[in-house]
Amino acid sequence: MTGQALGRVVATERRPNTPHQFHFWTAVTSPVGIGTIVRVDGEHPVDGQLPKIYGAVIEGFSYSDLVSPMHDVLGHDGEPSSAGFAPTERTEIRLYTAAVLRMIPEEPLQPVPMGSVFLADENDVAVALRMDSYLRDGASTGIPIGIYHAGGTDAPIYLDADFLVGPEAAHLNITGVSGLATKTSAVEWLLSSLFTHFPKEKGTIAAVAFNVKGPDLCYLDQPGRIEPADEAMYEKMRVPAKPFDNVRYYAAYDAGGYNLNTLRSNDALLHNVQPLTWGLREVLQYAEVLLNKDDVDAKADAVIDFIRDKIAGREFRDERLARRRYKVDSFAELDEWFRDVLAMLEEANSESYRTHHVATIRKVRNRLTNIALRCAGLVTAEGTVSDLPFGSFEDRGVYVVDVALLEEDAQDLIFTRIVSKLREHLERRNLGVDHVVVFVDELNKYAATEGPETYVRKMLLDIAERGRYLGLVLFGAQQFRSQVHRRVVGNSGTSLFGRMDADELAAPGYAVLSQAIKTKLSTLEKGQLMVRHPHFTQPVFIRFPRPAVMQGREGVELFPQAAEVSLDAAVTRSLRVLDPSISLEWVKQQIALREDDEVIQARNATVLAHPRDVKAFFASRMRPLAPVRAEAPKQRPVSIKLPVGDDPYGF
Amino acid sequence: MALPQPGPDAASRAALRFIQRILPGVDAVEAGPLSDPAFPRTDPPQLSAAPTLDGSRMRAETVQGEPEARFAAFLDGTQSVRIVARHGGVPIVLGIVAAGVRARVDRRLIAWTGSAPRVERRLYLPFAYAPALSFEGDATFGVVDTTDAALGELPSRHPAALLESAIKSVRRDRERLESALAEAWCAACDEPICIDGGIASNPRVASSALAVGVVKTHNTIHADGPDLELVLGLAQGERTTPFRIESGGRAQVTSWYLRLRDNRGHDATWGLVRIEACATVTTAEEVDRISRWVLAEGAPLALPDGRWDKMSYGVRNSEEFLRAIA
Repeated sequence: MTGQALGRVVATERRPNTPHQFHFWTAVTSPVGIGTIVRVDGEHPVDGQLPKIYGAVIEGFSYSDLVSPMHDVLGHDGEPSSAGFAPTERTEIRLYTAAVLRMIPEEPLQPVPMGSVFLADENDVAVALRMDSYLRDGASTGIPIGIYHAGGTDAPIYLDADFLVGPEAAHLNITGVSGLATKTSAVEWLLSSLFTHFPKEKGTIAAVAFNVKGPDLCYLDQPGRIEPADEAMYEKMRVPAKPFDNVRYYAAYDAGGYNLNTLRSNDALLHNVQPLTWGLREVLQYAEVLLNKDDVDAKADAVIDFIRDKIAGREFRDERLARRRYKVDSFAELDEWFRDVLAMLEEANSESYRTHHVATIRKVRNRLTNIALRCAGLVTAEGTVSDLPFGSFEDRGVYVVDVALLEEDAQDLIFTRIVSKLREHLERRNLGVDHVVVFVDELNKYAATEGPETYVRKMLLDIAERGRYLGLVLFGAQQFRSQVHRRVVGNSGTSLFGRMDADELAAPGYAVLSQAIKTKLSTLEKGQLMVRHPHFTQPVFIRFPRPAVMQGREGVELFPQAAEVSLDAAVTRSLRVLDPSISLEWVKQQIALREDDEVIQARNATVLAHPRDVKAFFASRMRPLAPVRAEAPKQRPVSIKLPVGDDPYGF
Repeated sequence: MALPQPGPDAASRAALRFIQRILPGVDAVEAGPLSDPAFPRTDPPQLSAAPTLDGSRMRAETVQGEPEARFAAFLDGTQSVRIVARHGGVPIVLGIVAAGVRARVDRRLIAWTGSAPRVERRLYLPFAYAPALSFEGDATFGVVDTTDAALGELPSRHPAALLESAIKSVRRDRERLESALAEAWCAACDEPICIDGGIASNPRVASSALAVGVVKTHNTIHADGPDLELVLGLAQGERTTPFRIESGGRAQVTSWYLRLRDNRGHDATWGLVRIEACATVTTAEEVDRISRWVLAEGAPLALPDGRWDKMSYGVRNSEEFLRAIA
């Protein structure tokens, strides 16, 4: 091995070395710091082999030959400024404690011997972190996560795809304080890296990202500004510094039903933004998500099951009801059915309908129809469905679901349904890709340790515990890891830590970290992370490049959110994406005499269908207007002139 | 600070093994190092007036100018004496002597690369009283006959006298190492070196303008009568007029007393050093200049060494260094 020794292993009776930890000193000017990876070359062979020990520095000490600080005070007459004039600097030691990463040979496991300490070079880092086992030529499953830097060493750090995406282990959790643009940036960068380096033999992969706040994920297809240092990192890790090629956005409408409820509503970016709208069937499958447990007792549950099984989306006949035959595909139609049932019961002076008590029916009606109001914009009364392309997901595609501006109920519903659908399709192996990374920020909120049991949390726990067998991988982020459910973070094979809050670091979960590591964690810069991965026996500090995508703040300035517009303008905006020749005047003419609901339905159907002749299709989706009858010309009234005579007031 | 040593150290054990190979019946002695390596004192306290260079009465002078750090290196030696075994009533003494130069580079002290620090481990044996002990040393342990006629009068058979003669031999060996290193510095370098102790034992060193000896012990005070009062009454930053020291077998040097620290609340010799320089140093300017160099070494303090009032940090650093390698 090359390089000059930068330290010597030392051990005393009071501070001995062990198989898992050793101490060494260095020159005051050495580039060693907390997190630095070093190599110890043993001097006496074990089983004929000179041992090599790799370690990561976890603690550092510095002291001089002073016995008491008072001696220094006396030496400088109590004047700190005079210390600089002393002709000699006191002898000072830099003593470090390192945790063993790996020993070669690995058996017999012995305490770390005395020896020279060297700064680990790139090869050493690969060996120390056991990356050599998955970076083999032709069979590499390494996914670059960042660059480890110490002294003159810049070594790429790789995660093992088998332990990041499955099947050995899976999931990634990232934690750190807000506002440093680290968590989201790290995930954006890691997705780029994953898409670039995910081994072909492991199949295809896509990502579904939930944008839960601000414009963070709204510009993944737009190029961002990166510095030369970032470019160098991209080059070293062989990841192209460019935005994602294949991104599709999904956003619900606002309560009005015609403006997309997303910050990515600028006309220039609408080409890959699709509305996310669900009808009765989609919502009923996950109605429990939105219904309070206290509301949905067994009786109410039975009514909902009845509706789900017998009514929604099916032909339903009941001679006692006013219409007798029903085809309930929307909330509006469901409400008509409810009305007829309740009217029938009232008329018949009966208290139950098919064993369901009238009070329960009223309650369920109230709760279900309320969903359409609470999730207005997402849930369409007429039942139009515009959804993620389950079944035709594309390899290396990113599907961003923007829920940032939605109410909490709608967020929960979207979240639960999409992830459940992903799971269903992955189980059936018909999603379109073999693996899906689901990125969820704010796990504090969705999978909190405390608080009521929610469907979202149950579903996240399910992914965390069983997702890796399916290829469903959770990339979760949060500010306070200690407040996320233990089973979610515990099942996360890989953990990333950005700058941490001191209060958070005081949580019991961080007790395994040394005080120096905690100090470093609390002072990490933007772009720095601590990585824990199953192959790494100790945390590793890395630096990752700025993602090559436009950052939210910049995107908002360059592509400001479209103002809320009138119905005709909103329809024009939607249809123009499909047919640029469509003008506001044309739309105005088409919808002038229409009800808003009818126009929205036609717009939704058109957007969903992507027809070749957009104008014709849109027009055809509205009821034809009754022809205007030609009215006979009205006769002008003629005044009756009477003979005036001698009447002075006559005409 | 030296930690208490409960038993023989590694060097003592090695020495014992060495002796037991030659004399299987030798008795091991469980003893730590002698607490005061200067024991027994060879120089009883005495007054020995020396003539001033200009022939006038000794005067106290304030050192002119600000302290200036000019020493490029510090030289010191150490000795460690242990009784590791006895053969009959004859103590078998292990002496470890070391000397080294610490060069000051960018305000930091490092081992001088011009001549490596020297460490010698020897067994000091009175061949005359124990013929069985007259064996030869090896690469690890040399053997010194403390009853060699060349060393002077044959010591008494009394064990304490034998120990004393061994210690004298050890001290001689230390001085030899120091002297050799000082000579090497003066031959190779052109910047001044601060030597712990006197410089008169080596004529080449004593005649070099680069060598400055700082004597911390005052068993012999080179003043008497009113001059003695003047020496002991020097205030901080004051020196005496220079005087000449010329003793038998030693080179002639210029010397003067200098008070490094205010001794109020302490004894009369607290903070008092005697400086030795080559005999060509005669003028007040030259004496002041060297005094300024010595005064500049007042910080950092040599604490926790008990002699910190007189010892420069560089000398303490040399001692610590030698303790570590010896």
